[in-house]
Amino acid sequence: MMMLRTATVSARRCFTSSASRPLYIHNNLQNDQSHHLPNGDPDAKWYDLRSDTVTAPTDEMFEVMKNATRNDSVFEEDASVHELERHVAELCGHEASLFCASGTMTNQLGLRVHLTQPPHSVVCDSRSHVHLWEAGGIAFHSRASVSPVIARNGTHVTASEIEGNLIERDLHTAPTRVVSLENTLSGMVLPIKEIQAISDMARDRGLAMHLDGARLWNAHVASGVPMHDYGKCFDSMSLCLSKGVGAPIGSILVGNRDFIDRARHFRKLFGGGWRQAGSIAAAAKFCIDTVVPTMAETHALTRSLADQLVDMGIDLQCPSHTNMVLIDTARAGVSVQDDLIPALLRKNIKIGGMGSKSRIVLHHQIDQECVDAMIQVFRDVVSQHNTQRFQQEEKPVAVAL
Amino acid sequence: MFSSLLKCRRVFLPKHSQLCSYSVVSKEIYDISSDTATKPTDAMFDVMKQASKEDDVFGMDSTTNSLESHVAKMLGHESALFCASGSMTNQLGLRVSLKQPPHSVLADARSHINLYECGGLAYHSQAPLTAVMPRGAHLTVHDIERHVIKDDLCGAMTKVIAVENTLNGTIMDVNELQSISKYAKEHGYLLHMDGARLWEASAAKNIPLSAYGSLCDTVSVCVSKGVGAPIGSLLVSDNETIRKARHLRKLMGGGWRQSGGLAAVADYCLENVLPTMKDTQKRTQRLWEGLEELGMKALLPVETNMIFIDTRGIIPMKLWANHLLEYGNIKIDASDDRASRIVLHYQITDNVVDLMLDITRKLIHDAGTKPDDGPTPVDASHIYPSASPII
Repeated sequence: MMMLRTATVSARRCFTSSASRPLYIHNNLQNDQSHHLPNGDPDAKWYDLRSDTVTAPTDEMFEVMKNATRNDSVFEEDASVHELERHVAELCGHEASLFCASGTMTNQLGLRVHLTQPPHSVVCDSRSHVHLWEAGGIAFHSRASVSPVIARNGTHVTASEIEGNLIERDLHTAPTRVVSLENTLSGMVLPIKEIQAISDMARDRGLAMHLDGARLWNAHVASGVPMHDYGKCFDSMSLCLSKGVGAPIGSILVGNRDFIDRARHFRKLFGGGWRQAGSIAAAAKFCIDTVVPTMAETHALTRSLADQLVDMGIDLQCPSHTNMVLIDTARAGVSVQDDLIPALLRKNIKIGGMGSKSRIVLHHQIDQECVDAMIQVFRDVVSQHNTQRFQQEEKPVAVAL
Repeated sequence: MFSSLLKCRRVFLPKHSQLCSYSVVSKEIYDISSDTATKPTDAMFDVMKQASKEDDVFGMDSTTNSLESHVAKMLGHESALFCASGSMTNQLGLRVSLKQPPHSVLADARSHINLYECGGLAYHSQAPLTAVMPRGAHLTVHDIERHVIKDDLCGAMTKVIAVENTLNGTIMDVNELQSISKYAKEHGYLLHMDGARLWEASAAKNIPLSAYGSLCDTVSVCVSKGVGAPIGSLLVSDNETIRKARHLRKLMGGGWRQSGGLAAVADYCLENVLPTMKDTQKRTQRLWEGLEELGMKALLPVETNMIFIDTRGIIPMKLWANHLLEYGNIKIDASDDRASRIVLHYQITDNVVDLMLDITRKLIHDAGTKPDDGPTPVDASHIYPSASPII
């Protein structure tokens, strides 16, 4: 039976990595977090839409931090850290969790614990953060290869695509050990039904399921799927607290007790054993309680922004489901880099981007006023170029999406 | 008579102290098992509020950048990188110097890098560690010379020499460090210093940090120990090395976002807590002298803020620890029944030292001196951190 499956699956391997088309990441590589000197009004409020990692701690958060416990969390003695870890574990329907300094750390720890001995590999979406943005962490920390899968529908990978890229055990291979999914990915929601199908398929084959849920909160709010329903499908989940959730620092890894114990040991190895982390944990818990409920509003603002941009003739690189709008302004005849970024900076609004592409990210510190101002700037820039184009009869650049 | 304010229901062990741990309602516990116990104060949270709030992954946070530049200067270097822990800064410091295997690091056998970083050197840098037991209190050129690996056929050649200062609370002589630095340069080795407690050495000897720091290629200094900040450590070196270390830090998952608050606290501590280090050291001397009067011995010289106390023949360790906790809320490490490492810091005041000596004096008086445990000397190699006797 095993042999038969091997033959069937090998024949279906897709080798999709070679044709991986760069998404916003490569386009924004140099300019996404631009170091332009702002030349807007220095006294007026600044709006930063380059990423939701820019969410800044508020005065209220510092009060919360002051009232947190102040014990050593390397020795697991801090109540505030326990409180956060217990809360998130419970929310996700898991036994335990581990509070760490970053999403890269929680992702790499999660994968590391699953990947016990080479040869082994991870299968994931070709656009995944764990594959592209963690400095080669999977190879470094776990000595594992990656099978990147291209999502043919442009939004999310499917169970059959994942299955088609699994590597079976063989003399020559690094067999798949973990399926790593990302939700949201570029702001797009991975539907729960698809996740369940992938999870069933993976567990059937004895593979571990890991989720890079840095923005799972957004998926949860947008789809209405409870966190613990996602939790059921995964052996481990990495959830970020420093992005849309709004805390200054941190990410949390969720799993069963043994898994988290092992991850804790690895965390020390990674240099992530931090001492009096209670205040940071308290800030994170506070944000989960107060900021996550505002995500629906952020999503609504994003929807409004996206719709208005599309009306102006600006294309979307991919569907906008939650708090991100990935635009391509080529057809509208304007440059993000040369026209829009400077114009927005003059209005105290920061976005990232390169060429004609940009990833605009909203969060709880972006309000209606900001979106209105942005729309105005976009309108002005686009209409200016339309006028020029009309005058010069310039051909618009064709965009293949 | 001291009334028991907090009864500890279990025999004290550091890991399972949840029952006895700090709570807002009960009285404060004086933890002298490590200087990592320094707790953040209310004032520090006010300082945090004023910090900048930019993203440090992109190197854009001004408070963090300012701390890094300040500490780099203090140590006689160009640049620094603020990280979550000393293990991270040590491992990064070594990692940047270890470019390609086969390669190895030579270090003191008792060092933190060798024993307490979860095998980080092998893991992060694919390098074995040549663990040298120095003949004296610290590594010397002589020790190093005898153990460097130069074999390029079968060996993993030494690339980095790692020293620790202070080690087990004892100070590495700056002249010896100069000799080691000179030797390293002559033979093409890089020199890394685990200076988690370098501040202690500098305070005790009145020698500027830069006098030690500038002798080394990379230095790791902790702000979460005696310096008093809740979290953090810095790696210090030249611009190019730190740039590379920043990239590696991301790989290790150390790329944190709005670190300004933590950096502001570290800066505050350098300004307000660091100058009190000499007082803490004087207090440590006083405590040691008091315990010595009661017949106890020290396994290592008391030079900074640590006492490796040997209670054999005077009082059983666990009895002492339980009494200190019950009658004084003083927590010591009692995981070994023969010796313990006592570490003072600025939050342990004169009152606590007096209390400790009073309780101990009374206990010894009431319990009577116990006969010697036996003729064999204490095998100190089992004690954390291994304070092996000088051979």
